[in-house]
Amino acid sequence: MREQAMVLNTNPLQRIPGVAVMLVLLCVVFSLMTPGFLTVPNISNVLVQSTILLMLALPMTLIIMTEGLDLSMGAVLTLTSLIVAIVALATGSLLLGLLAAMAVGILFGTVNGWLVAVVGIPPFVATLGTLGMAQGLSLIVSDGQSVVGMPAAVRGVYSGTLGGVPLPIVLGLGSYLAFHGLLYHTRFGTYIFALGGNREALKFAGISARRLLILVYALGGAMVGLAGLLMTARMNSGHPTAGLGLEFDAIAAVAVGGTSFERGNGWLLGTLLGVVTVGVLRNGLNLLALPSSIQVASVGLLVIAALFVDGLRSRS
Amino acid sequence: MTQLAQSKAAVSIVQAAPPLFELRGISKEFPGVKALDDVSFSVWPGEVHMLLGENGAGKSSLMKVLCGAYRADSGSFHYNGETVEIASPADAQKLGIAVIFQEFSLVPYLDIAQNIFLGREPAGRVPGTIDRKKILADAKRVLDSIGFDIDPAIRIEKLGVAQQQMVEIAKAISQNARILVMDEPTAALSDRETELLFALIARLKADGVAIIYISHRMAEVFSLGDRITVLRDGRRIDEVKPGAVSSDDLVRMMVGRSVDMSYPRTFAQAPGKVMLEVKGLSSASGIAGIDLVVRQGEIVGLCGLVGSGRTEVVRAIFGADRATAGQILFDGQEKSGGPDEAARLGLALIPESRKAEGLALIRSVGDNLIVSALRKIFPRGFFDQGKSRQVANDLIRQLRIATPSDKQAVGLLSGGNQQKVVIGKWLAAGAKLFIFDEPTRGIDVGAKAEIFALIDRLVADGAAALMISSEQAEICHVCDRAYVMCDGRIAGELARHELSEENIVKLGMHHA
Amino acid sequence: MTDISKPITGGRMLFSDEMIQVFYRLLAAFLICAALTILTNSFFSLGNILNVLRQASLLFFIASGLTLVVLTGGLDLSIGANVAISACIAGTVIHQTGSPTLGVLTGIGVGGAVGMLNGVMVTALRIPSFIATYGMLWVLHGITYWYMGGETMHGFPAGFRQIGSGYFLGLPIPVYLLLVFLAIGTIFAQRTTWGQEIYAIGANPVAARLSGIPVARRLLLVYTVSGAMAGLASIIFLARLNSAEADIGESLTLPAIAAVLIGGTSLFGGLGTVFGTFVGALILTLVLNGMNLLSVNASWQPLVTGVIVILAVWLDMKTRRRAA
Repeated sequence: MREQAMVLNTNPLQRIPGVAVMLVLLCVVFSLMTPGFLTVPNISNVLVQSTILLMLALPMTLIIMTEGLDLSMGAVLTLTSLIVAIVALATGSLLLGLLAAMAVGILFGTVNGWLVAVVGIPPFVATLGTLGMAQGLSLIVSDGQSVVGMPAAVRGVYSGTLGGVPLPIVLGLGSYLAFHGLLYHTRFGTYIFALGGNREALKFAGISARRLLILVYALGGAMVGLAGLLMTARMNSGHPTAGLGLEFDAIAAVAVGGTSFERGNGWLLGTLLGVVTVGVLRNGLNLLALPSSIQVASVGLLVIAALFVDGLRSRS
Repeated sequence: MTQLAQSKAAVSIVQAAPPLFELRGISKEFPGVKALDDVSFSVWPGEVHMLLGENGAGKSSLMKVLCGAYRADSGSFHYNGETVEIASPADAQKLGIAVIFQEFSLVPYLDIAQNIFLGREPAGRVPGTIDRKKILADAKRVLDSIGFDIDPAIRIEKLGVAQQQMVEIAKAISQNARILVMDEPTAALSDRETELLFALIARLKADGVAIIYISHRMAEVFSLGDRITVLRDGRRIDEVKPGAVSSDDLVRMMVGRSVDMSYPRTFAQAPGKVMLEVKGLSSASGIAGIDLVVRQGEIVGLCGLVGSGRTEVVRAIFGADRATAGQILFDGQEKSGGPDEAARLGLALIPESRKAEGLALIRSVGDNLIVSALRKIFPRGFFDQGKSRQVANDLIRQLRIATPSDKQAVGLLSGGNQQKVVIGKWLAAGAKLFIFDEPTRGIDVGAKAEIFALIDRLVADGAAALMISSEQAEICHVCDRAYVMCDGRIAGELARHELSEENIVKLGMHHA
Repeated sequence: MTDISKPITGGRMLFSDEMIQVFYRLLAAFLICAALTILTNSFFSLGNILNVLRQASLLFFIASGLTLVVLTGGLDLSIGANVAISACIAGTVIHQTGSPTLGVLTGIGVGGAVGMLNGVMVTALRIPSFIATYGMLWVLHGITYWYMGGETMHGFPAGFRQIGSGYFLGLPIPVYLLLVFLAIGTIFAQRTTWGQEIYAIGANPVAARLSGIPVARRLLLVYTVSGAMAGLASIIFLARLNSAEADIGESLTLPAIAAVLIGGTSLFGGLGTVFGTFVGALILTLVLNGMNLLSVNASWQPLVTGVIVILAVWLDMKTRRRAA
């Protein structure tokens, strides 16, 4: 007699209502409240601006699946975008700027991973520490000033198109597909589920949880490096405090998207929808001429609401 | 001849050859305790070798050494007569040793196939990727070989406990395990599931797999085992054949002395007034329509198989879980709140897992002893160290808790003494009804007797007790009467003269 | 896991362990003072020492309430933002009504209300404290910036300003206030039954609940008290800086957490003292003060603080592993 699954509980497909409903609701509300929302240029703008957040939220999803958190992403983003600006300015080469930024990002990621995996410090404390470090370094490296005058190629990364599609969206989609493949079709991805779901299982399979954790955080660092390029391209300059706090939006996007913080269950598509939701929220509030401070507060409320719902689900 | 008897006969022939796997003189020490002391042990292909021992006897250390999680300090391992080393899980795997622990090592949000082949996934075309079709096909093959027909793409979190256990076994088989170590495999299974497991074991035996089986259930030990090894205090006491010993003999070996099975129960009091009356209690955790009564001076037992709802009932009574229906009357007063109300009224709960739910391990013995009595000792709300230590030391003396001082961290005490602290905490709070959930689990026999003497004294002094125990013998010797649960409901009540292991088991069984 | 059936002899005394921990930290502070006296000429002057004490006090005011939260095993990342919003609203009240007393009450009230909201999120909504307060941090940040509209408040009554910059018997008034905060915190934690329950909750929240402690009520109390103390701290800031703007406490969240952790309070709950937090604040202030005197670029400070936090947590984990 064929065995059936005994527990028929929520699976990701049943989560679509959550974040998709929120997204649709926000779109409806905003399109009713401001005429400028539901236009092609505006929507395209939202999507393009969301790619930076997406690049942070994708690795953040993996990190949160391992029951971790990376609070330093925003500060490291600030630093990497400065590095891109400084190196591009000094060498005239976009590529060198990108490589340098990714190197710095990977360095911070590795330090985070090492602190969490080897030294054993709780992730939010460890990354809170590296947040401070990155913040300090940003100030030192920039001397508190913006960095301007980079080669035009840098700006081109943000404003260029590939086959009519804005380059940032191409990069964003590419990143999404890469992460999707990574999480669901590679051994690395399989082990990520184990890190959050049952770390002991990895030990018995002879796989080093430490190495995996360091890799996950380092991967985050690499993506932050890439995002740094995009951000510098967007602002056409490097700024000593831009990017601070973006990790919060990333965490919000992941939480809203349905990835849980404690059980090793991750849903990348949810993160994608979550990123768009956060982007739509900010955009809509912007069009309603509400200051960025209110936007930040709203995203905060969004996170709290999402976590509350996640908590309810895990208890049912 | 039954399948099992056939395989037993087969085993006695095979034993002429050298053992498949042998341990000689294995020792493992931790700071302060010798977990394994010169243990020697062997298994032949196709035999079921039972491993018996009290908690702390060394069974789990032995398992961990076998699977490579611990490294033995001294001694040697032999495979088919040749000396081998087990320094890591990889070594154990290579030798074909697989251990199935009580807490499974499955990843909940991965599917069956991914779990079976964790770490050994078939590679796809791009390096680092997994061949999805192949992993599913391979998994199906393994599952079929043990007779478990299920779709390998189902995620573990959707499976029941028995199904998960099957997946664990499939995982072991896929690793070409020739030696399977199983830790209390039937603990969480229903009778039907246990039958299926035994059928699978017979199948494995026929294939020549050696099984090391840890169990506390005498019935299993005698019906399934080809040989029995008893451990005590990390040492191997003896190895016997099931036909040559009785269960009393085994108990004696496990405990080291003739166990006086008569517990110190005085039955002095005639039961007094009704302290607890429960009517129609139900909760979201699966219990329904529970009616029970506990009187002053009584110890009332609550029995049933694992999973029948006993702990859920006491948690609902204590207020740890919310009741969805029913009424609880304590000493005439209606009770509807949480644990804080329960404690205030005079109810006490001594939970099953004392370390996780009964004690704050990093705090001192004294701190733990007074934590429920704070309002009673300091009614104005101002805390005084001196007074607190005085009360604590009085309790330590009274209960004979073995600790160098009241400032000792409670996590460093032995199991029996920790349990005394939990009971003492409620004594200090002036509790009138004590609910015990498996009060002697994980406690050595000497301390067990002390705990029961303590409970007897409490009840003789006018308190009431409700006791959950999985050991029918305990219930029969200690309780005035007992309720038996089955599937979340009370199946029946047994008066003193009706209390027997047989009756308890009969009432507690499914009636399909 | 095997249950160790025999008691381990030569047991360790956990309580004196805690006092020893505080002692070591005092020793560390003393050594830093000694080192700085040798390395610089300007450290060991009355002006500088008073400055250090004053800075450490300001940090301690915020960190003292935080200690209580951390003792329960939680964390409050919104503390700095709480100080900001309390200061801004209290400042408005003082300006509008001219009454410092009303301002103080407002500060405490707003701070306590924020604390209570945090408490509600943690107890009723069951959101992990560090993320609930992280969300609150941003909500408060947004509201405060919107409320202040980018402006700064100036000019508070002279009598009021004495709280922050006045002297009494040769010592800055904040130092006396320090003793008050120390007293409140220590009495609450060590001398009330509430305090004992807080320690129990931090050490094992499940066991605490099953021991009859009304955990949710106590947690709500702790977060509210912690918020109120932050609100009171905001008044001192107001008085000291004689101005209020939206980013007052922003840069103090990380140092406040650092002070608590350096002071020996365990991140995981159940261990630590308010006095320890004061020593922690002192150590941190001494290190940063030393950096200033040695002409190290101020931009290095967040970096150094971050490193110190990590070291403190590492030490905490080692200590905890010994005790159980």
